[in-house]
Amino acid sequence: MQRGACHSGASLRGPTESEPALSASPPPELTTADYPLSINRPELLHTPSGKPITALTMDAVVSGELSAEDLRIAPETLQLQAQLADASGRPQLAANFRRAAEMTAIPDAEVLAMYNALRPRASTAAQLAELADRLERAYSAPVCAALVREAAEVYARRDLLARPTADVG
Amino acid sequence: MTTTEPRPSIRTELLESRPVNLDGFVEEWPEKGLVAMESDFDPAPSIRVEDGRVVELDGRARADFDFMDTFIANHAIDVASAEASMAIPSAQIARMLIDPGVSRGEVLAVTRGLTPAKVLDVVKLMNVVEIMQGMQKMRARRTPANQGHSTSARDNPIQVAADAAEGALRGFAELETTLGVLRYAPLVAIALQVGAQVGRSGVLTQCALEEATELELGMRGITAYAETISIYGTESVFVDGDDTPWSKAFLASAYASRGIKMRFTSGTGSEVQMGNAEGKSMLYLEIRCILMAKGAGVQGLQNGSISCIGVPGAVPGGIRAVAAENLVASMVDLECASGNDQSFSHSSMRRTARLMPQLLPGTDFVCSGYSAVPNADNMFAGSNFDTEDYDDWNTIQRDLQVDGGLRHVREPEILQARNTAARALQALFAHLDLPAISDEEVEAATYADSSNDYPLRDVLADLKGAQSVMERGITGLDLVRGLETTGFHDVAQSLLNVLRQRVSGDLLQTSAVLTPDFTPLSAINDVNDYAGPGTGYRLAGERWEELKKLRHVTSATNPETEVG
Repeated sequence: MQRGACHSGASLRGPTESEPALSASPPPELTTADYPLSINRPELLHTPSGKPITALTMDAVVSGELSAEDLRIAPETLQLQAQLADASGRPQLAANFRRAAEMTAIPDAEVLAMYNALRPRASTAAQLAELADRLERAYSAPVCAALVREAAEVYARRDLLARPTADVG
Repeated sequence: MTTTEPRPSIRTELLESRPVNLDGFVEEWPEKGLVAMESDFDPAPSIRVEDGRVVELDGRARADFDFMDTFIANHAIDVASAEASMAIPSAQIARMLIDPGVSRGEVLAVTRGLTPAKVLDVVKLMNVVEIMQGMQKMRARRTPANQGHSTSARDNPIQVAADAAEGALRGFAELETTLGVLRYAPLVAIALQVGAQVGRSGVLTQCALEEATELELGMRGITAYAETISIYGTESVFVDGDDTPWSKAFLASAYASRGIKMRFTSGTGSEVQMGNAEGKSMLYLEIRCILMAKGAGVQGLQNGSISCIGVPGAVPGGIRAVAAENLVASMVDLECASGNDQSFSHSSMRRTARLMPQLLPGTDFVCSGYSAVPNADNMFAGSNFDTEDYDDWNTIQRDLQVDGGLRHVREPEILQARNTAARALQALFAHLDLPAISDEEVEAATYADSSNDYPLRDVLADLKGAQSVMERGITGLDLVRGLETTGFHDVAQSLLNVLRQRVSGDLLQTSAVLTPDFTPLSAINDVNDYAGPGTGYRLAGERWEELKKLRHVTSATNPETEVG
């Protein structure tokens, strides 16, 4: 039932090229009835490169028009899924999606390096502080930065920071 | 009068020879944590909240928190409702869990404010039937499902593809693989993905590896989800696993940031097996894991002892504790892939009994997973059920009218799926310039049971091929293109549709699976609405007709013939 209404909303907009992928308008207020977005609200879904999800066709794959980058989730979509998680009473899941939205900007290799830096005794207090700053400044990722700062505080208290390399004389 | 040496009776000899006596059993040893769920060393429930912050948790002040306490206090417990929820008597919460008049949502409103010791206090009151009754209502997704393993003792990708195709056709919603030789991973993960889509479009696949490698395969779109993200209930064992709750929470977000479904893994017995249970019961430590997972914001958890099942299986009440840990995952609103995987008993009766608390109420994934290859080929060290048990499983579903996620499939369909999977992989390998798959291997795959039924592969050439997949940066999109250009249009389209899901993020929501027509089905649009007899998921209609079919069913109208 919701579905019909959403589809008519989408068709009203028509097949114009005018709508930018990363629209400046505020994100829509979603309810659980909008889920799954891939079926009920496809018009809200874009790749990080700005293609609508409907552009991910076999023809586009075969012609080489699409790259692996096109099969990534956009930060805006993660914010929409966070709204749905909140609307279904799952605040922790929503918080995870909000951290993930921030992380979409970080290259794969650096995400892995950051994960490794958070392992026990892998980083000094200064290195973790630097990581948090980098998340905030280079990637506008304050929620992730807060997680790293919280970890740094706990690691210090629980002896889980890297031990400075001993000077061997 | 005759005197004889004491000797065993004939009956004792017979009992001694029963398979169950090959199993290991031990006495409880609470001081070392070798106890299922009733230990004097577990803390008593308590909470104190000051200025919106938990300052005391289960008898420990914040200054004395270990990192599990800290993470749970900071992220898992709803501080607004905690003191009120903790004030409710445990017996009342246990009753809410089994009372059909209390909705799932009403229970969740209470459980979100509970501490680990309080959750333990609640489930300790419940016998195994009550645990099942609770599970029936608290399972997140309304429709139960099952997960299978497709692996090969020789890491043979053709076998993995063929068995994945058959497994998907038989009903597994998720398929998982792992390796003997880790460097084989890219080829085997590709084979799993191709085979799964041949068997049933929309089946999700994963390859269990070390955390960082598993993430890399996921990022490339070679796998669709991840599960082997292990967490532990004591700080010392967590650190031995080279992780912390914060590193794991970061990893959880990393997966979501690439649109990839994931769940954590934990289970009773892991801490005592890894030598540091800190004198706490297995279930108490597992509840800490469950709440840590909840706090990290992952959508789900694989638990039910998993690879440590021998430990709870050896102590009194251990299998009840395993059922309870599944219930706890569900009652804090996580997807639960509920174990029944690693082999734990020589006794078929015991293997089946161990399954009942998950099969009867239904869970998000009854097994995590069922061996869709013969156990000798199962590289997860064997499962509680394997391919030899398919017909027994189907019969049990039919006898009890319960949906364990599988179905009987007729031979011609199975042969066709296996053959198509092997041919699709043959074409794809040729297209990607990977080591050739011969027609002889395709023929073997069509009819094989185990890895022994296949021609041997050139392992060195395969490993070079696997390495080149990584070096050349082959992605899921290359697989789609290869399958499409070699004429396997349906398989290519299915794989593209699965990959496209990561752009929508729909599979990131709790308990999500994909239906054959690519509709995401999760705890949002398939809410468990159990409210007593006649409500919730019922095995009826078309699905029930499907499950009435077995290999041999006699026709009612003509006893000389078989139907099905």
